[in-house]
Amino acid sequence: MSNIFSGINARLRGTSNKPASTKSPISPTSDDGRLNSSGGLSQKSHSSASLSSKLPPLPASPSLSQTITMTGSGEDILTSYHLPRPLPLWLNPAYARHIVKGNFMTLSARPKTVEPGEWIAHHVVEHYRNLWNFVRVIYEKEEDGTSICNPTTCPKMSAGTNHSYTWLNSRFEPIELPAIEYIALMQRWISGKIDDTKIFPTEPSGVSFAANPNIGNSTLLSGTDEWIGKRSGFPKDFSSICQTIFLQMFRVYAHLYWAHFTEPFYHLNLEKQLNSCFSHFVLTATALDMLKPPALEPMQPLIDLWAANGTFPPESKAYEYANLNAGNRLLQMAGMA
Amino acid sequence: MNVPEFSSAPEKYPARYGPRANRNQERCFQIAQSFFKNGVARTKARYERWKELEERLQDPALQPKREELYMQLRMSESKYLRFLRTKESLSNYTPIKTIGKGYAGEVKLVRRKQDGRVYALKRLVKTEMMSHEQLARVRAERDALAEADSDWVVKLYTTFQDNMSLYLLMEYLPGGDLMALLIKYQIFSEDVTRFYAAEMVLAIEAIHRLGFIHRDIKPDNILIDRHGHIKLANFGLSKGFRGDRSNGRYKENQRPGPSDNQKRNSVNIDEISLTVSNRPQINIWRHCRKVLAYSTVGTPDYVAPELFTGRGYSFEIDWWSLGTILYECLVGWPPFASEAAYDTYTKIINWRESFIFPDDVQLHPNSIGLVKSLVCDQETRLGRHGADEIKAHPFFAGVDFGTLRHVRAPFQPGLTSDVDTSYFPVEDLPQTEEFSPPAAAAGHLANGATDDPLKPDMSLPLIDYTFRRFEKSFM
Repeated sequence: MSNIFSGINARLRGTSNKPASTKSPISPTSDDGRLNSSGGLSQKSHSSASLSSKLPPLPASPSLSQTITMTGSGEDILTSYHLPRPLPLWLNPAYARHIVKGNFMTLSARPKTVEPGEWIAHHVVEHYRNLWNFVRVIYEKEEDGTSICNPTTCPKMSAGTNHSYTWLNSRFEPIELPAIEYIALMQRWISGKIDDTKIFPTEPSGVSFAANPNIGNSTLLSGTDEWIGKRSGFPKDFSSICQTIFLQMFRVYAHLYWAHFTEPFYHLNLEKQLNSCFSHFVLTATALDMLKPPALEPMQPLIDLWAANGTFPPESKAYEYANLNAGNRLLQMAGMA
Repeated sequence: MNVPEFSSAPEKYPARYGPRANRNQERCFQIAQSFFKNGVARTKARYERWKELEERLQDPALQPKREELYMQLRMSESKYLRFLRTKESLSNYTPIKTIGKGYAGEVKLVRRKQDGRVYALKRLVKTEMMSHEQLARVRAERDALAEADSDWVVKLYTTFQDNMSLYLLMEYLPGGDLMALLIKYQIFSEDVTRFYAAEMVLAIEAIHRLGFIHRDIKPDNILIDRHGHIKLANFGLSKGFRGDRSNGRYKENQRPGPSDNQKRNSVNIDEISLTVSNRPQINIWRHCRKVLAYSTVGTPDYVAPELFTGRGYSFEIDWWSLGTILYECLVGWPPFASEAAYDTYTKIINWRESFIFPDDVQLHPNSIGLVKSLVCDQETRLGRHGADEIKAHPFFAGVDFGTLRHVRAPFQPGLTSDVDTSYFPVEDLPQTEEFSPPAAAAGHLANGATDDPLKPDMSLPLIDYTFRRFEKSFM
């Protein structure tokens, strides 16, 4: 079948023949989660410096990505992502579709009548339950003791060749774990937080009585004596705990896409379900300032695609963080532009 | 759609994965679907509540209370969100009394520790043996009750589960059920029958409007609230049409139909003794029926013939059941009563011969006419074009259907407290303090969370079983 983009494609294939790893000298970016005695998961801030030193600016911040949108061609940006070629199936717009139509933001935007802390807590729990719905498919063992995700298929908690995540052991040393063990540890950590009523209070009598006009939006408050959810009994570190939970959940989603999109989700006819849950997750997490651009990196091309194909509405933060040119280029490659 | 720039899509091959993965697939598929469905519904409802407040605030007299009213709404929204994320467990409830027991579980009257409210908590034991069909029933009930927000349907507040069981937290209707009323009064006057008939018409109409066919309407499933009005319960066999791609008819044999060995027994010598008006015997029969109701088989007495002839059925199936219940109210026993279920099946299938009004019962022609227009062929059955044609039947002349639920009911339970169970025949039920888990699992349940970090959340069938209704009590 003739392809009107064949010229471009040739160039594309030419530039991408080299394996991604040779272009990316960095070891897998690692920021770490640790499980220490106090149950805290500390985070080293994620750095993509090694990538950006060698390459055109990465969408590391909204302003940077805007710059790229204006200047870089979609092709250049896609190249800068060091994606394997041919591109993963999930970047094919034909497989990036959803089970729901309409503006997802209606589910994420905080209603006027809901207290911000309560709204964040609600979404943490909802998305956690959602994500584990998918994890169970790859995690649970068959009669013969095998699971779809296992130390042989996924010896590392990876999201493509460019990203893998390490866990911090009790001596604060980053350790590489098979994905399935990483996910198990993280599940334990997250459920430990969510079930802790000191962090996620559930007492109906504890709800906030007064409206604080200063806590009108979802941005984090810098003041020391005021924080999101304070009046409803959420602790001072509530926001940072939730950010960590969202970050960890993002990593699991990234692993599901990079390692398990085809096997098993596509084969099991769950790819649209996964797409809808993940896009809703990204919209929510960014809208609530729970996830910021550097962390989104492994899934950046899909975010670009969803901004370009209308999944992310223009008023959303996810759209703002996306690179439209790259997304449009993906649509173009699939003949869907 | 393969494009060379992208990895090619292999042929889908779900069978490459084991049975567990495929079971999880089904679950995942449904959960994702209901997640968005519920999310949208909640978002809409939340928006409506806000709009409603804004509308109220149009009234200048309420302006001074503006902040206060906003605060109230904010608080109730917060309470609801907390309720949504609270892990429900049995330990949140104090059991009071067992009010029902069935083959798959039991119903207890419980008090919620947090706010002291009284509910009926239905518990279904999960077992390895829990069949696909049983799970489907649980799901059917949950879906029907969760969707219905009607005065005619027993309210479901929340559902939850632990490793052992599935739970449905429902409103407690202290008036017992129609079965208990029939046992107590044996027979209803035509006026009393008219009241219950009219309420049943409205109740069945309400669930049909929601897209559900109940399929198991019988006196035990018609509950009486504290004011003496009825509500439908036990949607375990109900069928929802929404979301189904069928064109509104089912062709299947869900019920055990008359089988080969039934034919041998089709001549039943006890038949005669049941069709004479022998009240004491009928009540013995009723008592047996009550026991039968808890068995796996259930009673076929009120089931329309098309359900087991495999000809396909639709909403009119519930109107047949209404006809048989009216017959029972007026005559004293259901029209196809037999000692053995398979004899009942035979009679139902041969209803043209077996359906008769006894000679010694004096009834108004309109009463007989209505029952006969319901207990008949599905093609000619009254109600197949909607409930209005039943309401228009001369039997209901003078009934104001619009205000029915607000009129004084003929029978009103006199209750001594919010936990009065005098209208439930509880004396036959073993009363245990707690829900009694199978002995082998008791320790497991007590521990709550197990050592395996993934166990509590991931080992459960029906993870989306959870449902939470926004309650007025949040306000």
